[in-house]
Amino acid sequence: MNGRGHRDAGAIVGVGATEFSRDSGRSELTLAVQASLAAIADAGLSVPDIDGIVKCDMDFVAPNDLADALGLAGLSYWGETGTGGGAPCAMIGQAIAAVLSGQASHVLVYRAINGRTGARYGQGDGQGDARGGNGTYNEFFVPFGLSTPGQMWSLMARRHMIEYGTTEEQLGAIALTCRARANANPAAQMHARTMTLGDYLAAPFITTPLRLFDYCLETDGACAVIVTSTERARDLAQPLCVVRAVAQGAQAGMQPGVAFPTLMRESITTMPSAAVARRLYQRAGLGPADIDVAQFYDCFTITVLVQLEDYGFCPKGEGGPFAASGALGLAGPLPINTAGGHLSEGYIHGLNHIAEGVRQIRGTAVTQLPRAEVCLVTSGLPIATSAMILTRGTG
Amino acid sequence: MEQELALPAVDDLDTGGHWQAARRHELAVRVCARCGRVLHMPKAYCHACGSWDTRWQVVAPVGRLYSWTTVLRQIHPAFPVPYTIVLVELAEAPAARLVGHLPGTPELSAGLPMVATFTDIGGISLPVWRPAQPGPVRPGPGTI
Repeated sequence: MNGRGHRDAGAIVGVGATEFSRDSGRSELTLAVQASLAAIADAGLSVPDIDGIVKCDMDFVAPNDLADALGLAGLSYWGETGTGGGAPCAMIGQAIAAVLSGQASHVLVYRAINGRTGARYGQGDGQGDARGGNGTYNEFFVPFGLSTPGQMWSLMARRHMIEYGTTEEQLGAIALTCRARANANPAAQMHARTMTLGDYLAAPFITTPLRLFDYCLETDGACAVIVTSTERARDLAQPLCVVRAVAQGAQAGMQPGVAFPTLMRESITTMPSAAVARRLYQRAGLGPADIDVAQFYDCFTITVLVQLEDYGFCPKGEGGPFAASGALGLAGPLPINTAGGHLSEGYIHGLNHIAEGVRQIRGTAVTQLPRAEVCLVTSGLPIATSAMILTRGTG
Repeated sequence: MEQELALPAVDDLDTGGHWQAARRHELAVRVCARCGRVLHMPKAYCHACGSWDTRWQVVAPVGRLYSWTTVLRQIHPAFPVPYTIVLVELAEAPAARLVGHLPGTPELSAGLPMVATFTDIGGISLPVWRPAQPGPVRPGPGTI
């Protein structure tokens, strides 16, 4: 199983998004339809061309909801994957699998979320009377006041500091990088708000050692992309964006449930990203040195820092110094999150990272890198994750 | 009292033994009765040796501080800020960690010896982790 049966065989041909806001004023289904129509139009396709749909497990919009709203008459494939933010690149992989196996020809992949006015992930689990049990394992966490992703990631960040001497200024370098990219991106929620290291350090702690700007945004909005075969993509409207390879992965001793039990892993500073990285590079026949630009899933700054190590851009434990060296900026060896990421563009649960990856490969990003022939896109942690490498398909 | 908002489910088929032991003011982890492997989070099957024969092993309520975070933004109504979440590695079962709650912003350091006692609330008993040697606790936000 070398996973190379899909190498360069699938492509992303359409990208669409709504605006990113704190109050969309409309339903998640409406957001999903708007982003989907934009992606279909961007591809030069029409609605009847869409015959497949892939959903994130946490999306409240089901494939039949979206198919009905779009007026799809010929839906022949639908699928779903997760967990949550770990899904997006796996969703692309699932869409490619559907296309290559002949189950669909043009697959719509979407994420619609009223993350600020609807269910706010920052408010966490176990509110009120929720007591865990039934496979949630929350009974080991919520009764002690651990109920949010940020609290969990703070325990991980603290442990990274204990093991490797990582500092708050190094985490801040990641927040500042994403903010600077957002300042150049009119679509970003933090477009108008510049930030210095002083601003970062002056912001209040939410959960030590993480401050306000170590946390991502909560966003209302949607993104959608269209996946088809590379062969078909050559006939469509946009410059080619080929999926060189995609990979999903977990680790031994991965732990059950949603997120909090991952605190019981042998290490809480090495993530399933390390396993995905090995598999992805093997499938792609590429390595970290080949990556021109990366879109790292960034629910928190620490999430990026551990991925810098897990994806092999620096040795384990050196993510902090690497981030603080300027490596992640536009002039560095590894520009990241060129639209601002979850930290400063918006939180569309990993789909906006895919959209920006496609724009970089096409050469149409707002902050377009002069060399963006190979783009790494990663999805969420810490449960199990996925990632992919996009190229122009000329290699 | 406020704490009742966040009492654990104690009757889960896979994890309930931990809370039954807590009711006796004992700390117990689930282990494989055949090979001794610690099964944490608690589960019924040992994939290491293929056994379905498990038991709840009482361990000393002592450990070392693996990580912590002080929560300064109010989220859960049962837990007024500031408070500190601790992640404790058990001395007799290093493959198991447990989460605890400390009030305020205690002075902590990695590897700090921790001990647990138990508190009874509404027919349920919860382990209460504290540093083995109590140190200063500041009421307000601390440094990291």
